[in-house]
Amino acid sequence: MNGRNREVEQIRQEGIRVLRAFAWAALVPIALISPLAAQQDSIPGVTLGLLYEAEFQPALAVQPFSGRLGGETAAARVEEIIATDLRYSDRFQIMDSLPASLVGDQIDYQLWDQLGAVWLLSGSLEGAGSGFVLVLELHDVVYEEIHAQGRFPIPATRDENFRLATHIASDAIIEWIYNEPGMAASRIVFSLRTRDGNQDLYLIDSDGRNFRRLTEYDDLTMSPSWSPDGTRIAYSSRKDTGLPRIYELDLETMVEKPLQPGRNGDHQTPAYSPNGRDVAFSIMGGNRSGIFYYDLERGCCLTHVSGGRWDDFSPTFSPDGRWLAFNSNRLGTPFPQIFLMPASGGEADLISPYLHGQEGYYTSPDWAPFGDYVAFHGRVGRRGSYNILVANVADRGRRLRQLTWEGNNEDPSWAPDGRHLVFIGRRDWGTGLMVVDTATGRYRMLRRGLDVRVPDWSPALGWDGP
Amino acid sequence: MRITHLFVPVIAATLILSACGGGDPPPPPMPGGPTQAEIDARNDSIAAAGDAEQARTEAERDAQRREQDRMNRERDEARETLEAVVQFDYDESDITTAGERLLRAKLPILRSSPTVRLRLEGHADERGSTEYNLALGSRRAESVRDFLSGFGISADRFTTTSFGEERPAVNRSDESAWAQNRRVEFVITGGQIVVSEDD
Repeated sequence: MNGRNREVEQIRQEGIRVLRAFAWAALVPIALISPLAAQQDSIPGVTLGLLYEAEFQPALAVQPFSGRLGGETAAARVEEIIATDLRYSDRFQIMDSLPASLVGDQIDYQLWDQLGAVWLLSGSLEGAGSGFVLVLELHDVVYEEIHAQGRFPIPATRDENFRLATHIASDAIIEWIYNEPGMAASRIVFSLRTRDGNQDLYLIDSDGRNFRRLTEYDDLTMSPSWSPDGTRIAYSSRKDTGLPRIYELDLETMVEKPLQPGRNGDHQTPAYSPNGRDVAFSIMGGNRSGIFYYDLERGCCLTHVSGGRWDDFSPTFSPDGRWLAFNSNRLGTPFPQIFLMPASGGEADLISPYLHGQEGYYTSPDWAPFGDYVAFHGRVGRRGSYNILVANVADRGRRLRQLTWEGNNEDPSWAPDGRHLVFIGRRDWGTGLMVVDTATGRYRMLRRGLDVRVPDWSPALGWDGP
Repeated sequence: MRITHLFVPVIAATLILSACGGGDPPPPPMPGGPTQAEIDARNDSIAAAGDAEQARTEAERDAQRREQDRMNRERDEARETLEAVVQFDYDESDITTAGERLLRAKLPILRSSPTVRLRLEGHADERGSTEYNLALGSRRAESVRDFLSGFGISADRFTTTSFGEERPAVNRSDESAWAQNRRVEFVITGGQIVVSEDD
């Protein structure tokens, strides 16, 4: 601990703003116990814990954004969107909405230092009417200098890309400070059950805004999955044949096309390969069940990679495309498990903890956009509600991070920052899409009151520009 | 039943004959020909023969209709037996004792109706994950197919599909609703139900 304290002091003095102290929390979440105590598992050989990064969160102040020639309202909206994005990034303490009378027009480093800010963001909106250029300056309050700056095209506030363009600027700030991707310029697609019992696809922005309907098939349309470039969504729907088939929807043209693999059975749970050339999906109930690849470029050609007299489904690729995690009932018990397999096929390894006679129930894997983490939901015991869990692939399920501790929690999907997860949360006070920060364990309701299924978080999205 | 049918036309003809007895006022007699009474008698007998013929056809039609009704009824019963929903235990895809009874009852119908094709639709209750429930529903449908094909019914006559938890039979969240929602439904997709002749 001494070493770590010294390190902390050093880090502070050097002005490096992130301190990551790692601590294992045991099964009882209120108590932080020593790593040894954390090994008191409910399953022998499996450490179930909360990897809690006690992260030093620097204060980031937002100087009121300025705008000219009628751009003042737009500037205020841009500021509000960016401040919310930075707050939702769970990396800062945000100081914003400070009165201009207090902070003035000019940057006063002394004042911000006294207020406890480590970073200061100032912004001005140039131009007016049909579009703007947002000029952002990120100031290092400690060194009293500009750390980074950038210019971002922002369309008019009524433009459908106004918020997305602003979110792109938010992610640039994360990149400047942490050299890591953000998640503000992204969306979440999910299926929503309507009153008539049908399910269609809906979209929502990363900040919970812009909730809108994507498909109107009035049938069962499910398991949407983003293409790696964020321009297309694959999903399964019963809308044409009465049987689930895979479709791909181009978000720019809104043209949808069915995949034509020419094989019977239920086609379910599609996922794009990282290069976007193939869609992996599950065929169930046909003459041969399992996971298949469909070649999108050639528009044909099924490759069978796993399966047999059982069901393999919900495939998810490692970011390098070399591995596939999936869900399976191949053990023949009513307790589904998560498996890992070379993407070209071959032997499958369990990555969910398994103890014969005491099997847990683990489903809905999603591989992180970077790092060897697979999130899924499950329960360690035979009964009870589900929680969001993260396995380190290298550990082969011997250690699990449990991210939720109450209510019911299902179907996690990673944000493009590789740090947040969206999932379906049920609490006493509401049900809907929730977001958890895997670094701090903090979570929030993104959109409440929806009967949602299987969300998928997009990669970082762009727009064509002005 | 068959004997009773034979009597029906006779009784019907008698009834029609007696109904024709009272008629219009007699017309004036015609000289040099058959008397009015003779003509009436002949006409009556022609009418009677016609009526009897008609009655016989009607009775036959009646009998056919009744036979048809009986066949329809039996076919409806057969259809009902064929479409009877099979339920499953929580998280299980094994056929239960009650399920086995329902499936065995379907066997004679499937044997006597070789053209009938079925879609087996597997369902799960709302507990468990959305995507795993698709697999669970699929396994249930396949359990049913395996059971039936184990009794010599060609597996080619069945297609399976799974709705997972998305099409509940009962839209509630309690044990009874869950029990009714864990099921395989049978949808006839083609062919004729032939009811076996019972003597």
